[in-house]
This record gives sequence, structure tokens and C-alpha cells, in this order.
Amino acid sequence: MRARVELGRAEQVVRYGGWPSLVVVALVAGQAMDDYGLTVGATILIYAILGLGINIVVGYAGLLDLGFAAFFAIGAYTAGLLMVELEWNFWLTLPAAVAAAAVAGVVIGYPTLRLRSDYLAIVTLGFGEIIRITVINLEVTGGPNGLTGIPPVTLGGREIVMPRDFYHLALAFFVVVLAATALLARTRLAYAWRAVRADDTAAEAVGVPTRRVKLLAYVLGAMTGAVAGPLNAAQLGTVDPSSFTFLTSLMILLVVIIGGMGSRPGVVIGAVVIVALPEVLREVQEYRGLFFALLLILIVLLRPQGVWPYRPRRFRLPAGAGPAPEPVSATGTLLEVAGLSRSFGGVTAVADLALRADAGQVVSVIGPNGAGKTTAFNCVTGLIPPSAGTVVLAGRDVRGRAPHRVAAAGLARTFQSIRLFDEMTVAENVLIGRFARDRRLLRPLSRADLDAVRRCLDFVGLLDAADRPAGGLAYGDRRRLEIARALAGDPRVLLLDEPAAGANPTEKRALMGLIARISALGTAVVLIEHDVALVMSISDRVTVLEHGRTIAVGPPAEIQEDQRVIAAYLGVPDDPDPDLVPEVPR
Amino acid sequence: MSEFVQYLVNGLTIGAFLALIALGYSMIYGVVRLINFAHGDVFMIGAFAGFGTLTTLGVTGGTALPAIVAAVAVGALTTGVVGTGIARAAYVPLLASPRLALLIAAIGVSLALQEGVKVLTDARFKSYPNTLDGGQILSGSVRVTWGQLALVVLSVALMAGLWLFVTRTMTGTAMRALAMDRDAARLQGVNVERLILVTFFVGSLLAGAAGVMYGLYYTQISFGMGFLIGLRAFTAAVLGGIGNLPGTMVAGVAIGLVQSFSAGYVSSRWTDVIIFGLLIAVLAFRPTGLFGERVVERA
Amino acid sequence: MTRSTSRDRGRRFRLLTATGAGLVLVPLAAACGSGDSGGSGAIRIGVPAPLSGDSASAGQDILAAAKVAAAEINQAGGVDGRDVQIVEADDQCSAQQGAQAAQKLLNSGVVAVAGGYCSGAAVPAIPIYGRRNVPFVLDASTNPSLTDTGKGKVFRTCGRDDNQGLVAAKFMTGQLRARRIALLHDNTTYAKGLADAAANSVKQFGGQVVYQDALQPGQSDYSPVLTKVASTKPDVLYFTGYFAEAGLLMKQRKQLGLTFTLMGGDATTDSTVLKTAGPAADGYIATTAPLAKDLPAAAAFVSAYKAANKADPGPFSVYEYDAVKVVAKAVDDAGSTKGADITEALHKIKDFPGITGPITFDDKGDRTDPLYITVRVRNGAFTAHKKLDKSGGTWVDAKSS
Repeated sequence: MRARVELGRAEQVVRYGGWPSLVVVALVAGQAMDDYGLTVGATILIYAILGLGINIVVGYAGLLDLGFAAFFAIGAYTAGLLMVELEWNFWLTLPAAVAAAAVAGVVIGYPTLRLRSDYLAIVTLGFGEIIRITVINLEVTGGPNGLTGIPPVTLGGREIVMPRDFYHLALAFFVVVLAATALLARTRLAYAWRAVRADDTAAEAVGVPTRRVKLLAYVLGAMTGAVAGPLNAAQLGTVDPSSFTFLTSLMILLVVIIGGMGSRPGVVIGAVVIVALPEVLREVQEYRGLFFALLLILIVLLRPQGVWPYRPRRFRLPAGAGPAPEPVSATGTLLEVAGLSRSFGGVTAVADLALRADAGQVVSVIGPNGAGKTTAFNCVTGLIPPSAGTVVLAGRDVRGRAPHRVAAAGLARTFQSIRLFDEMTVAENVLIGRFARDRRLLRPLSRADLDAVRRCLDFVGLLDAADRPAGGLAYGDRRRLEIARALAGDPRVLLLDEPAAGANPTEKRALMGLIARISALGTAVVLIEHDVALVMSISDRVTVLEHGRTIAVGPPAEIQEDQRVIAAYLGVPDDPDPDLVPEVPR
Repeated sequence: MSEFVQYLVNGLTIGAFLALIALGYSMIYGVVRLINFAHGDVFMIGAFAGFGTLTTLGVTGGTALPAIVAAVAVGALTTGVVGTGIARAAYVPLLASPRLALLIAAIGVSLALQEGVKVLTDARFKSYPNTLDGGQILSGSVRVTWGQLALVVLSVALMAGLWLFVTRTMTGTAMRALAMDRDAARLQGVNVERLILVTFFVGSLLAGAAGVMYGLYYTQISFGMGFLIGLRAFTAAVLGGIGNLPGTMVAGVAIGLVQSFSAGYVSSRWTDVIIFGLLIAVLAFRPTGLFGERVVERA
Repeated sequence: MTRSTSRDRGRRFRLLTATGAGLVLVPLAAACGSGDSGGSGAIRIGVPAPLSGDSASAGQDILAAAKVAAAEINQAGGVDGRDVQIVEADDQCSAQQGAQAAQKLLNSGVVAVAGGYCSGAAVPAIPIYGRRNVPFVLDASTNPSLTDTGKGKVFRTCGRDDNQGLVAAKFMTGQLRARRIALLHDNTTYAKGLADAAANSVKQFGGQVVYQDALQPGQSDYSPVLTKVASTKPDVLYFTGYFAEAGLLMKQRKQLGLTFTLMGGDATTDSTVLKTAGPAADGYIATTAPLAKDLPAAAAFVSAYKAANKADPGPFSVYEYDAVKVVAKAVDDAGSTKGADITEALHKIKDFPGITGPITFDDKGDRTDPLYITVRVRNGAFTAHKKLDKSGGTWVDAKSS
């Protein structure tokens, strides 16, 4: 135990001591280097800033961007035009450049929110080309000549023209941007990004407003990257449209890929490799590009995760249990589904479903495979829009709402095929479940968040595994973790989709106990399950579906006696011939 | 009016190339979920292989049909082998890695091919012998050359061949199954790795044939020739619905027409802005392309 | 336990890579202090050029010419008994790399710079050389603004876009009696600059610019653009871009059966054009400085270049050769390797016998003698066509005199 604590402290030194010492090294190196080294050094810092920007989009949020040079260009041109045409001061143009990039981030982010990552690649690439071609074609941006005669930065009445001064300026910019992104990485938003990156459907279903989260990634990434634009313009005294080609976008992307996605130290390494390596390779002249390309392939083959992969921060969960949350004071009917129907093409998956769950009740839905149980769940939670019907949650109509809004209204779920965020730790997975309760993004984690994570992990018995990656858990633990994540939002209604699938008898008994404890909290539990014995022993009421239609509703005892159910489902071990089962009008 | 028809003819010629190259993007994406950035450069390799063949055969001009056929065949086979080799060496080892690693490998391969050919050719343009100057079919106010016709006919033949391969052979069926669901295909006894290599072979074959045809028609090739046309072909593949082969062909021709008409009625300077603008607009309303994709993302 | 060792391994790897990345930086820092401009070793002349990237072939031609010039100077005993050494730096035609190449050259102690290809790379480099008073002799960047804003420290052995545009306009409106003129560029700095300059002059001479737009280089199929140009019914189409597109334009113009005269600027006289266009090149006219093979003084250079590189010189090789030669001459005249002295000596040079003609610089640093003539493709080769006589008013055969 002691050793572990010390290790933790050593890690902290590495973690928090690394950056200041790196800055000191950079300062010392700045004294030793000549003008050429300093110019290259400043370029490395500019690429590191761009890398920190694209790291937000690609590294944190997992949105592939092949046109990031567009934001670089927008920053450079906005600042350059303001300096040349309106004779603004460099420091005034900086916020303008960042604001322009933010607008561009919305413009490119909005239409692409629905797109999958591979489509994003071509759309962002296209956006980059559109920006580049537009600035070449327009007269106001100087056409192919770009902007010339951009004045140097003045600071305290002194012009920053010498490479050493500029290197220091770039270093200062880098430190500020680094600090800003480091703060960003501690917000709830950063956790939401990682969840979206791992599985955006699951993230949305447990309460993360995925569209807003993705859009923020574009906007914040664009704003960060845009800072490099004015800096570069001031360094060169010119804005040349040929600096913003697809190749530039690729280089910026490579900064974060080589370093390791999501990893800030990786960005620095990536920037050094991308900028300094070609300089070193100047000796080999025309083979320069070839060497670089081969090296790139080699790096990816040897280290597909990047050379300095992202390492999740250890969670510091509170030592003791926090104050117990106010018990969900709801009583009466929490979920009321009526007339719910959904068809795909001509096939009716769910027809006219009615479902009611009161506080503290366990309600089960059973039926053969393909009976429409999961489709019904997906309609209730907003994952797919129902064709007809109403879904009322604690008195509020939530039909047709986005899944994260349904989750925020108090309805949590698990998935038939467990959908955890495998790259995140157990505790982080549970934390994402908190978004259903508290959707604020640009805040650090609150004490309430951490208390809830601890409480839910404790509740399902996974507290010891808090820091382990979710991907490495055993099957049964994964089920429990998914339930803990669902509970983190203090739901009024919990939908469990086949939680006992693949469980052994001991695990099933534990699960039954867990469900009982959840319903004892006053939460309504709706269960889809194949294990009839389990369903009958814990349910207050059972609904039986077949071919999307409800064939029976009632308490377990009644259902067990129902001849139609026995004929359709319980008593016939193999697939019954559907023609022999009479349709039962309700 | 005659100008309109001329733009149409020019657009169809360009579109024939784009469709052939776009098919490779689409097929490869279908089975590996990889935007093969190196595909445009494989096309370039094909053009150089064809050039090498013609030079070796000592063709200097005139309509030397056997030599042309030999050049197309050698070019296509070379790229088939090169494409398969690339897939085996750089992509297959990364199949289990994050998708981005695969993409970066493809970008690396693309740069390596370009830079390699650049070093070998001293960064110079090469000129094919003038073999397709077979004269005009129409020589009034609208011009159509025999070269254009040969090109379009050959493209259509290759596309038809691909269509038969994909729909009528076991391998093609397995390929389509793989595009639907890799795990299920594996469970059904499909040798996934072999099939991936076959796909790369076929896709690269088409690109190589297109490369030689390109060289024969335009007569000027260089290490950088694959970039722009590759980008547009890729755009066509996405626009048509990636993995959807007929959609890809239609979109390839459509992009060719856009290129021609935008030069005629707007300005060649804005061509790419129009193409990409169109793409973004289409995807904003139809997130899986004009004709819908034929690959299934795992739920 | 196994987990912690794998973590240790991970940490060791990261440490290793961080060190590796740091090591990459060492040569950058180590390069410090190696520069030595005042000493008694070789006189170093910097040659920035695109040695990698898309324009690499042009850059290699320029560098090769510089080396031929240096070898010739050294053969003849060098400058003040000291050898001339060429120091190359790749600028990749980009602004960022241009700035870095400039610092790299200053670092290695160059006394003057002779080279460059793309204006984009030259623009950020000019103030960097300027701060150290190192003169920069351009061999290929024809954009007027470079010497206009160069504060007298920038020179060029090549012409200016406005100068060439003027010559082209005179030829089209005078010699060809064209009234309707179409101008096509490729949206690069050089091509657009030349097209704009030509448009200005054409209007001055009473011609009508019926079309002025860009094609997109790298596209290979310019039939749509040519069809569009034809619809404006021009007498002449003047293409101001580069040779890669020029050959294709000639070929496709013939395929489309278009009859207007096709002309081009001085970046189109590469031999690739002739191979690509084949018979379609016949009759093509380009404005350019006299070709190396037509310059009696250049014959020796051409054969030396061929011997050293087993290839023909590129279009800008002769200018680079002259740039290196004129810099060496200035160092010799100044008797000093201080940048300011060399700059002063360059301004004082009068009628230096360059292979591109006599070289005298004006106050800005441009050549005082008009350079441009027209050449024409005849029997599959560029041959001298017409030039302006001394008065600048009438066209005479370029061969006579």
C-alpha cells in the first residue's frame, strides 16, 4: 500500500513537473541556439499550438479532420487583413482571429454532426480546399500573392523581429494555449468527448448531449488552432496561400497521430518530429520526402497508438461515502407508454404497445427473439422515433425527444449488447452516466459527481475496480458496470435489456438481488429478459410480446397460467409455427 | 448550343476516368473500411508502368494497337501486384489497430509512392508517345475524337467486367458479404485476409488500367498526377454512396460533368469549391451519399 | 505484477521517444557557430531553391547551374584567390520553408544569395537577408514587388512580369495585329502577375481583353476551358502559366480544332512541351528571354552543363549562372565579403558580360536592358522568332544581329 502511494507521488511529479521543466529546457535551449535553430524552434511551437487545437477535435472527440489548415488560414488571414487594411494592432487582431475561427468551426461542424468519421474526412478535406481556393480567388485576400507587409508584433514599444525574441513570444503563446487546453481537459466536457469518441450512441443514451459536445469540439479546436495563424503571419511578415494546402492539414494531423491522440506531451513530440525531422533530413536532399514517408509508415506500424499514448488521469474518489442523495420522492406511475407503434418499411416491429411502471415496481417484457422488445425500448428512449403512440415519463411527454433529453428526464437504460466506453476507466464510465442529471459541460468535476460515482460503484460492488479500464472487465462485471452507469443519473425509470444473458446461476441470483435493491430505492425497473424463472420471481407485472403485438399482460402468476402464452412462448421449446398461434385481440 | 454539347462530351471523357478510379476507393472501403489515400498514387504507378512498357517496346507514335494493349495489361498487372503488396505490408498488420492508424498508414504510403517515383524520374514530366491521334469522329462545331471513344468504351467494358465479377462469382459474393459484416463473413468460412488482398488486387488493377489509358490520352504524366484526380474520384465515391458500386460510377461521371460545366459556365478557378460545396450539401441532407451506402456500420 | 512491469516498459518507451525527439533537435542547436563569413576559407554563396516538393525539377536545374558557374570560377582561380562554394537550401516553394532556408544559409556564413524560384518563398526571406545586409540576387522570381520593396538589396538577373507583359502586348497587338485577346493563367503568383501586366498593356495599346481567367493546374483536361475561351472568339490566347499545362493546351486546342493563335510566357519553353504536344506544338509562340542555345556566349555554359548533369539546362539555368557570376564579380570588385560592400559593388556593375546579355542594375536592382524576345516552335524545336529593335517600336527577326 505504501509503495503504491509513493508511486502515485512520483507519478504526480512526472505529471505536473514535466511541463515546467520542459519550458525551462526550451528557454535554456533558446539561449544556446542560433537564428536558424530559433526559427525552426518557433515553427515547432507554432505546429505544437496547431497540434493542441486538432488534438481537441481528433484526439479528444475522435472526429477526423483532414482540413485543419483551414482554421490556420482563417486565423492568419483575419489577423493579416486587419493589420494590413485597417492597421489594427497585432494584439487586437488576435481575438478577432479566434472569433472568426469559432464561426468557421460552427459552419463546418453543424452540417457534419450526423456524419460518420469516414465521411467527415472528405467533408473536412473539402472545407479546407474551399477555404484555400477562395482566398486565392478573391482580390481582397491578395489572390495567389497573399498578404504582404504585415508588421511585426510590438510588445511594450519594442518590435519583435529577431528570431530569439520571436521564439520567446511563440513559447509564451504555447504556454498559454497549453494551460488553456490543460484546463479544458479537466472539464466534464473532456470526459464527454472521450465518451462520444468511444461510442456516441451509448453516450447520447445515457444523457450526453452529443451534438452540442461535437460542435464544441470543432469550435474550441478551431479557436485554439487559429491562434497559430496571427503568430505565423507575424513571424513571416506575409500570409502565403500555399501555406494552407492539404499537405499542411496532413502535417497538422500527423502531429497528433505520431504523438498519440489525446496526449498533450505527444503533441509536442509530434511537432518536433514533423518540423525538425525534415530539417535534419536536409542533408539527404531529394530523398527527404521519401525518408519522411517511410519513417511515417514505420512509426504507425510499430506504434499504432502513437509514441506517447494518452494515459487517463487516476480518479481521486472521495475516501468515504458522501451524504446520501435525497431519495427519489416520486410515487405513483413513473412510466406510461400507450399505443406505441413502429414499422420499418412495411414490417411492423412494434404495434400498439402499452406499458406502465409505478415507483418501486419491476415490470418485465418477454417474448421470443424478434418479438420487438428491443425496438420498443429504442422507441421509448428516443433512439428511434416511434411511428405513433405516447411516452409519458413522470407526467412529462418525452416522445420524439432526443435520447439525452429522455435520459435527463429520468429514464436510464442498458443495452442488450453491452455498450461501455472501453478505453475509459470504470469510474469514468460511471461519471458519464451523471450527464443525465447534470448536463453542464465547461465545469470541472464537482464533489457531487465524485460522490455519485463512488456511491454507484459501491452499490453494484465495483468500487475496487474503479481505476481499471472498462474494456478489461469480466463479462459479469461489465453488466454491473453498465447498470452503475445508468444509476449515476439518479433515474426514475431504469430499462434493463437482457441483463441476465450469459450469466451463471450465482450471477443471476446476485442480479436479482441488485434489481430488488434498485426498486427498493423507489426506481421503476423495466426488464427485458429471456430467463422466465428470473422474470417470474421478481416481476410485479409481465407483458408478453409476439411479432410486435402484446398477447398478454398481468401479474406473473396469471401469465404462467395463460394458455395462449404457454402455447406461444413458455411451453413450446422450439419455434412454434406462427400460423398455429391465434392472434389475440386485446 | 454546340458549346453545351462540347462540354458534355468533355465531361463524359473526364467522368470515365473518375468512375474507374472511384470504383477502387469504393470497393476497398467496402471490405476494409479504409479510405485508401494511396489509390490515386497507385493510378500514377500504372501510368508509369505503361510508359515503361511502351518505351521498352520502342513505340514512338502511330496507332500500334498490340503495344497499347500490352501497355494497358502490364500497367494494370503491375498496379495489381503493387496494390496487393502495399495492403499486405502496411494495411493488414494494422487491421486490429485503431482506424486512424490505418488511415495514416495509407497517407504514408501515398507520400512514399509519390516521393519514390519523384526520385526515380528526377521530378520530371514524362511524355507518352502519340498513339491515340487517330483523328476525329465528329469534326464540325462539336468535336469528338476516336481517342475519346476508345477511352469511354474501354472504361465501360472494365466497369461491366467488374460488375460481373462482383455479382456472378463466388469471390465477388464473398466480397459483398464482407462489406456487410466482417465477423459474420468470417464465421461463414470466408478467408477475410485473402479476400482483402483480392479486393486490393482488383481495385488497383482498375486504377492501373485507368493510369495507362490516362497516359495514352493526355500523353503527359508525372509523380504528382494522382493527387487531384484521386481526390475527385474519392469525392465521387462518397457522393455516390461509398461501397455502392453503381452509385459510385454514376457519381464519377457526374463529377466529370460538373468539372466540365463549371469551367464552361462559371470558372475553372471555382471548380473544386463547387464540387466540394456540392458534396457537403448532399451529405448534410443525405448523410450516406446520393444513392445510399452499401456497408453496414456495426451497431 | 505483470501490469506494473508493462507500465514500466511503457514509461521507458516514452522516455526513449522523448529523448529521441530531443536528439532530433540537437543538430539544430549544434549548427550554431559553424557560420563564419569573414574568415579566409571559401567564399560561400547561398542558393535557395525548391529541391523537394512539386517544383523540385526546376530547383534542381537552378542548383546545377549554380554549381557549373562556381566550378568555372574556381577553375579560373577563384575570387581573390579564394574558392567559391555553393551552399544550397531547400525552400520547397513555401513561405515557412523559405524563411527557414534563409536562416539556414545565413547560418552557414553565406556572403550573398543567388537563387530562388517561387516568389512565395522569396517574400519572407527578403527581410531576413535584409537585416543582415546580405544581397539577394533572384534568378527566376519575376514579380515586380520583390525589387520594388527590396530597399535596393534585392537584385535580379531575370526580367520583371510587367516588362514581359508589355512585350507580349506589343507583339500581340503589333506584330500579330490581334484585337481580341484572351489571357489564361493558373492562379499562381507568377502567372497571375504576368496576366495582369499583359492585360494592362493590351488595353493601353487599344486591344480588347475578351477573357481573363485561370485554369486549375494538375487537372490535365483543359478542353472545357479551351471551349470556353473559344466561345469568346479571341484572335490570340496568351497563357501565362507553366510548361506542364502549356503542352496539354496545345494538344487539346488541336483536338478541339480551334484556330486562334496560342502564345505563352517564359515558363513554357521547356522541352517537355514539345514531347507532350508533338506535332500540335508547331506554330506555338512564347515570350521569353533569348534561349540559351541562341546566345552565342551561352554555348560554353550549355556544353559544360550537359557534361556535368547529362541533361539540358532548364529555363532559368542561364539566369542562375549569371546570378552567381555577377555576385562573384561584385565580391571581387568590392574586395570584401561584407554584405553592404557587395551590395554597393552590385549597384556599380556596368555592362557585365553575362550569357543572357550585358548586365547593369538600376536603383531598384532590376536589369536596365530589356530582355524579352519571342520564340516559335518550328520543326519540333523552339527557335528565335522576333525581337524589338532598339527603338522598342518595331519587330525585327531575332536572329539578325
